[in-house]
Amino acid sequence: MTSVWFTPQFAEEIMKNKDLFVEIQSIITDLLAGHIEITQLVENMGGALTDKDAENREKGMKFFTKLLKELPKNFLTELQLKFISKFYIDRLKDNHRVIPSVIEGYLAIIDMDNYKVQFCGEFLTTLFREVACQSQLRQDRYNIYLIINKLIQMDLEFMKTLGPDFVYGVISSMEGERDPRNLMFLFTTLPHFIKSIPLGHLTEEMYEVIACYYPIDFQPSPDDPAAVTRQDLANALNPCLCATPDFGENCMVLLVEKLDSSLRLAKIDSLKLLSESCKTFKPETYAPFLKTLWSSINREISHKTDEELKMAAHQALSALVAKLATTANTDQAFENFVKGILISMQTAIAESTTITQFVQSSKVLLTTANASKESCVIITKSMIPAIIAYYEFKTSPKLQIASVEFLGDLHDLAVHWQVLDQIESQIKEIPRMCLTAVSQPAKEYQIAGFKTLIRVKNILETDLVLPFIEVLIHNVQYSQDNDLLSVSVETVHAIARKYPELIMSLVVKGRCNLENLTEDKVALQKRLNLLSNLASINDFTKIIIEEMLKIITTNESEAPKVVEALSETMSNTSLFSDQKVTQIESDHGLIDSILIWLLKEIHNQEHLIHGYVLISNTISSLPPEKQQKLLEKHTPSILNKCADEEIYFLILESLYNSLHQSVYDEKFEEIMKLSLCLALKGVNEIVRTKACVLVAHFLNKAEYGQQFELLYELLKNHLTSCKRDDTDICPKLIILYGWITKALIMRGSDMFLFWLQKITNTITNTEYCKQASEAIGLIMTDCPNHLTAKQHCRISLLYKQRMFQSFSNLTDKIGPSTPDTKEAYLLSWAYVIGKAPKSVLNNEVLKISPIVIDSLDYDNKDLLLVMLEVMCHFTQAKQTTISDSLQTVLPRLVNLTKYVKSMDVRIKSLQCLYEIANSYRTSLLLPYKQDILFDLAPSLDDKKRLVRNMAVKARTRWFLIGAPGEEKPN
Amino acid sequence: MTKTADNVNPHIYEKGSERQITSAEHDEELIDEFDAREIFDLIRNINDPEHPLTLEELRVVEESNIAVDNKENRVTVYFTPTIPHCSMATLIGLSIRVQLIRALPSRFKVTVEVSEGTHVSEHAVNKQLADKERVAAALENNNLVQIINQCIAVM
Repeated sequence: MTSVWFTPQFAEEIMKNKDLFVEIQSIITDLLAGHIEITQLVENMGGALTDKDAENREKGMKFFTKLLKELPKNFLTELQLKFISKFYIDRLKDNHRVIPSVIEGYLAIIDMDNYKVQFCGEFLTTLFREVACQSQLRQDRYNIYLIINKLIQMDLEFMKTLGPDFVYGVISSMEGERDPRNLMFLFTTLPHFIKSIPLGHLTEEMYEVIACYYPIDFQPSPDDPAAVTRQDLANALNPCLCATPDFGENCMVLLVEKLDSSLRLAKIDSLKLLSESCKTFKPETYAPFLKTLWSSINREISHKTDEELKMAAHQALSALVAKLATTANTDQAFENFVKGILISMQTAIAESTTITQFVQSSKVLLTTANASKESCVIITKSMIPAIIAYYEFKTSPKLQIASVEFLGDLHDLAVHWQVLDQIESQIKEIPRMCLTAVSQPAKEYQIAGFKTLIRVKNILETDLVLPFIEVLIHNVQYSQDNDLLSVSVETVHAIARKYPELIMSLVVKGRCNLENLTEDKVALQKRLNLLSNLASINDFTKIIIEEMLKIITTNESEAPKVVEALSETMSNTSLFSDQKVTQIESDHGLIDSILIWLLKEIHNQEHLIHGYVLISNTISSLPPEKQQKLLEKHTPSILNKCADEEIYFLILESLYNSLHQSVYDEKFEEIMKLSLCLALKGVNEIVRTKACVLVAHFLNKAEYGQQFELLYELLKNHLTSCKRDDTDICPKLIILYGWITKALIMRGSDMFLFWLQKITNTITNTEYCKQASEAIGLIMTDCPNHLTAKQHCRISLLYKQRMFQSFSNLTDKIGPSTPDTKEAYLLSWAYVIGKAPKSVLNNEVLKISPIVIDSLDYDNKDLLLVMLEVMCHFTQAKQTTISDSLQTVLPRLVNLTKYVKSMDVRIKSLQCLYEIANSYRTSLLLPYKQDILFDLAPSLDDKKRLVRNMAVKARTRWFLIGAPGEEKPN
Repeated sequence: MTKTADNVNPHIYEKGSERQITSAEHDEELIDEFDAREIFDLIRNINDPEHPLTLEELRVVEESNIAVDNKENRVTVYFTPTIPHCSMATLIGLSIRVQLIRALPSRFKVTVEVSEGTHVSEHAVNKQLADKERVAAALENNNLVQIINQCIAVM
């Protein structure tokens, strides 16, 4: 049987049968296979398309539209499309019921490959004439906008030829649109439309249609799943309002009006529109409005609390100044505008009595100066002298200090716009001003003065260097204040980079002369710090380092101080880069000299620590080949010495702990054996620890494969050869396991599990549980001197997280802990929890909370601190595991507020109580309120002020629970 | 009808810096005595009932107007209304009192008074603030407690 669409009865069928839409795919298959022509098909549908009853015609058009939508886009020929298009255009005049399908169908036609844009002229004319867009449903209106937009995308030039009628049609279709989604679409497409289609005499109409939405006042309905927000609409509307310069005047009138609105949102929108408009409008547009604009901006910019408004005002001001600056050479308006700003801000600064007021006004000036080169010149030219004069008023110390800092800001802007040459006479007053500031005895003045001087060092003139140096050297030698000291050193450094010769003669060969360096004992250490800092500058390196090394090798009493100074400054990588260190080492043989000194003083332990650090830091900066060479040179002799006395091992360790991963030689095995031996049998505790560290470094750095296997084998052999029954060794062994685990887990090796298990197994052992928890603590704690990236160790990401997971799994397997071992067990947990990332803890609340609550009963400061911290964290996150156990938790916390041994525990427990009051529902807390208030009273009289402060915070918070005036959603 | 503030445009002063924490305060052994600064820190952040400003910013309370006697267990706070006819003076005084009652150990006897010569009805205000029963009665009043709690709460 042939299908119904091969016969004229098809029309009847469309009208009667609602389910015919499922057949569309079969019809299309027939069409594509050539079983039936489109003309034949349309003819068969004819009855339905031209039926007398509008309802039937609607069905017919719906069917046709559906068919067109499903057809492949390249199927219809241009001629066929022309006829279908004509037919659809004709249908626009039909009953309103038919219109939606017609519009939808035309949208499908436009998308066809062979559609010619010329067909659309008639469509649009008829559409605008026959169909009142705003009386259609939302989706149909959207389709109309979509058609217009698609046509413009398709052929802009043709659309331009449609002339004002087209523009008018578009305006009248969208006038009165109220749906947020449609508006969103219109606002995003309109700027392109306005920019590309000449509006002619309809400019004002177009503007009015858009402007009536301004400022957007809209609340999305709360149950809308994908709501358009007010902000989206407002952001999209702004570009429409300033899409073309022709809108300029109208837009400015609107803007000025809305800036004065009492609505906050209107103000913010207007300020944003102002910034946006500067992208398109001509500078002349703003000229008549500048006075009003400035007064509005000024009002918002000085708003005390609303940061968003303030930011918007700053941005608008910046955009406006930058825009106007383009006419600086032709128009007086720009200069007048900037001068207006200048005058009002100068007045504001002169009247300001607080820092907030001062900063507010100075920020406006900075924004203005930052906006353009021209404004920068005007502002800096008059503000620098003004601020210097302001400083002389001696208002208040804080304001004077702020003004010194402000000068630095102005200078930076002048540098940014490269206008230093234009304001030469003003700018060079700044260093002089700094000198006035640093001549004050107060530390705050000096710090501010020096900090500004560092910023303006390039304009410092020679004649000012000497007075500065006088003050600086005095500070460096006698200042007790660390901040001032470091700023002073930094300043000398900055000046030295600008005037190396002057500093050389004034400081290095003058005030801090190396020859008599040792004479003045008091200030020696400080001067050494300054000199070693200066040594990082190329001009000074040679002379200073040579002199220092000479002292190290010849002068016994001063050598430790020199080594300390060198070690401290050279570990500062911003001063001494790796190249610089390498250069110092190869030019001056730093390590050799230090080694000689170390060997000579080896029994004088307390001074040597800096020497070890210096060697290790220096080695870490050297390239692998250099490291290798140094090892070859020094290892044999030191190894020999180690055999006699274990203390020499410390030197060996400092040589070997910072090697690159690629450095390896045959000596490693011998050193590994020695380290293992010392780690377990060393007499001196430092030696034992360092031996463990070196074992860990070797295991962490060795390349997988032969090297690693060999070392790992050595380790295992050595450990099996140790006597198990030697009880002395056991604690040391557990600590060594800790180091091994740490080294392995940090490099991301799975082998750590084996060693970790050995540790967790001892947690339940009454005798060794303490060492086990210590070993866990060691694994979790970062130490700045071991296993760091600077020492070229491998540090895998998230190793702490991994440790948390593994530890958590392993503790599930160990037996129940006895009262004797429980504390150590909890302490191990504390180490793991305390260092694991908070996000991991959040996933394991159920597991951790009981441990935390359990721990609060133990008298162990470290344990309590960690657990209280975690408790605070959980409480802030409103975890129910805590609120469910308030009956247990609160008495324990109250108990801890009286913990005598540590104020930190008292503070933390009070903080927990505060957080609990802050986080949980009133109904949960109210039963405990009176008790807690009573229990907290003694803490108000705690002997430590910091505890009292927290007690006050917690107690006043508990007072508010359930009281009138408490702001807490319940 | 909304009441407009008595002093619409008060002078705003600089906020002082936070108390520097000294090493002595971290020493477990040493006893930190109460001092004027500590009392000042307790009340400096109380909000003015009329403005979103603290008593410190309005210089209603100042460190120099606070006296502490640790031996005699006495704390005396003088506060200065922004204008002599301020109708909020009693409320401010009450807020200071309530905060100190909650935050100070009970051994202290707290006196809150208007600084001499800074308010037209100075004696009346002082009398009210010193009268225990009237203070207690005021704290029975829910509306009043609400306002006071809101003033104190912003810590």
